[in-house]
Amino acid sequence: MRDLTVRLAALDPEAGAALRVVSYFDELAAAHAGVHAIVRGAAVLTGHPAGLVDTRRHLRVRVDAEGTTRPDTTAHPAPSTGADADADADAEAKAKAGRGAAEAPGPAAACAPTPADPAWLSAPVDQGATLWLERTGTARVVDAVVLERAAALARAVLERTRPLPRGTGAAGEQDGALLDVLTDPAAPLDARRRAARALGLDPAGPVRAIALADGRVHVLPAHQAEEHPEHPVHPVSFTQRAGIGPAVPAVEAPTSLAAARRALRLSAEGTPTDPGARTVHAEHVQALLLLAETVSAGTPPIADVAALDRAAAAAPWMLTTLHALVSTSTGRAAATQLAIHHSTLQERLASAERLLGWNLHTPAGQHRLHLAMALRRLHRNST
Amino acid sequence: MTTTSTTSTPRSPEDEPIHSPAGSPAGPPVPFDPEAAAALAAMGGFPPITPDLIPVLRQGLPGQEPPTDADLTRDGAFEVEERTVPGPAGAPEVRLLTCRPTRAGSPAGTTSSAPAGDSRTASGAVYWIHGGGMIVGDNRGGVDEALDWAQELGLAVISVDYRLAPETPHPGPVEDCYAGLVWSAEHAGELGIDPQRIVVAGASAGGGLAAAVALMARDRRGPALAGQLLIYPMIDDRNDSPSAVQMADSGTWGRTANDTGWNALLGSARGSADVSAYAAPARASDLSGLPPAFIDVASAENFRDEDVAYASRIWQAGGIAELHVWPGGFHGFDVFAPHAGISREARAARLRWLHRLLEA
Repeated sequence: MRDLTVRLAALDPEAGAALRVVSYFDELAAAHAGVHAIVRGAAVLTGHPAGLVDTRRHLRVRVDAEGTTRPDTTAHPAPSTGADADADADAEAKAKAGRGAAEAPGPAAACAPTPADPAWLSAPVDQGATLWLERTGTARVVDAVVLERAAALARAVLERTRPLPRGTGAAGEQDGALLDVLTDPAAPLDARRRAARALGLDPAGPVRAIALADGRVHVLPAHQAEEHPEHPVHPVSFTQRAGIGPAVPAVEAPTSLAAARRALRLSAEGTPTDPGARTVHAEHVQALLLLAETVSAGTPPIADVAALDRAAAAAPWMLTTLHALVSTSTGRAAATQLAIHHSTLQERLASAERLLGWNLHTPAGQHRLHLAMALRRLHRNST
Repeated sequence: MTTTSTTSTPRSPEDEPIHSPAGSPAGPPVPFDPEAAAALAAMGGFPPITPDLIPVLRQGLPGQEPPTDADLTRDGAFEVEERTVPGPAGAPEVRLLTCRPTRAGSPAGTTSSAPAGDSRTASGAVYWIHGGGMIVGDNRGGVDEALDWAQELGLAVISVDYRLAPETPHPGPVEDCYAGLVWSAEHAGELGIDPQRIVVAGASAGGGLAAAVALMARDRRGPALAGQLLIYPMIDDRNDSPSAVQMADSGTWGRTANDTGWNALLGSARGSADVSAYAAPARASDLSGLPPAFIDVASAENFRDEDVAYASRIWQAGGIAELHVWPGGFHGFDVFAPHAGISREARAARLRWLHRLLEA
């Protein structure tokens, strides 16, 4: 299929390609068209597949030359980071897009992703988004004007429909007020949906809530929370205890956060007086989450927890030794983790059994210890 | 209110609220769909088509050239022929373009290896009537979409080249269409088509002619049609519905253009009580006993109200009709903005209806 501008040129040879392209996107703007219509316009006007990727808003659109939406099978473009790479990408985009798109980049282009094939003609939309045409070589006038107009309109539409919270894109915090709404179970569904969008989250997409020991909260796309907890684009550094909630649609963030907060109470400082995992996934401790609901600040400790506290006070090695016992599969592995001789471990366990009052060499006894340790954390971390 | 009626015509919406003959007011024009509007703007818009523009239109729109024989074969999927068949009594012969599925082009399971004429393996057929406001076009116009359906469903396409107005006024054009249909049904064996599975189809003026041919086939006990596929059909010579008034000369085929087309076909009889239902199917007093209808139209075009009314009247008469009104389209939106979301859905809906109709 010939591209639309060629067919239009035949209809009206007087008007230049640039004028037709400008008219096309002006009309889309006036009618409040969405991002898909813009990318589709870029494709049909040039006769080449076109795409847009927005890393901060988690948006990917790709259409073929006839405007049919196609899954984006191209590789995920990585944001470029180094200053030299920025300058190169910037210059490259300018060179490829031709004069029409040359004004668009500037500093805003510093972190815009590059298309899967760097040779494709492309233009930055904003700091985290790029529009491309799947076409290499020298840009025709129509390509340059389409890239420039489509990128400018896409930027305006994205800013209007999916505003990013202040600081997103740097290593900033998520907006507290928006998070309050998103994670408030009493907030209307619509309000949560709007808050999700304003935070750059897909309201229907999977997210995980993260509760931190200092009381702060994050809601991140599930894959970020799972795979890249240290990724610099989001602010969770896990330098403190954290509970991670289950993956849920963004509008159901309150349920993920509730689970994350209980999981947080099962986390430990990872010190001799509070051994254990600093980060706890709610999905990995579902039965213990039920237990968490039964223990609050005023709940008196059961006798096993009192015994555990007495034992902890009796010897500095007590809690780390008991944690090693319940977190490894064999006594030998526990000894290795503690860097002590196996016989030393046996002596310590004999001492612990006397102080606790139950056998630590049976599965039932170890299970009883495990629960007592979990309850002890819940008491320590009760609010 | 003004008392000087000389300057006040029913076409002056500024003076008073617009009222259709039925008395329902029409508001401001329905806004166009964003992508349809963008394509229209990029085309530079359409002038109101007055009779003096008919010769210009007949030169064809550059960029909308008719398909060549090679295009029509679809890489060997169709065998393409032009043939001349008897026309209406006393009139010249009628040219038919036939595109018949070849074995290579047939979907699995529909390939015919039996002798032509075996109705068990003969293909269904689309009898296509091109558009062009009754005044322009030929039998290659719009065939591309009919071939899309045919390729998907293993159908033949027969496209009729009827004489045009104003040189040939009513009933010449519609009688040409009917004569071609009758010949096709009577020569189904020779064409390798199943006479029980012929769907008449057309867009715009072609949609109106298809609706008229369905009425004639009913009244004259002619071919038993399987269905009528009416794409934003032009069916009411009165051109005064609320949508006609409301949309005025916006879009592509505006109210002035529609006046031009109907005047060419009907001359001074237009708008009078004498207009035949075979010229303007909206005039039919009886819409019972018709084959199942598919009707689509856009919300922002002249033909909206007459086409919606036609579907409603088929239902009221106890008939079968499927109606789609695509929001924000102008006349021919699917042709001029083929990539737009509403255009894709409109094409898909037509194909789905044909699937249900012919594969049931």
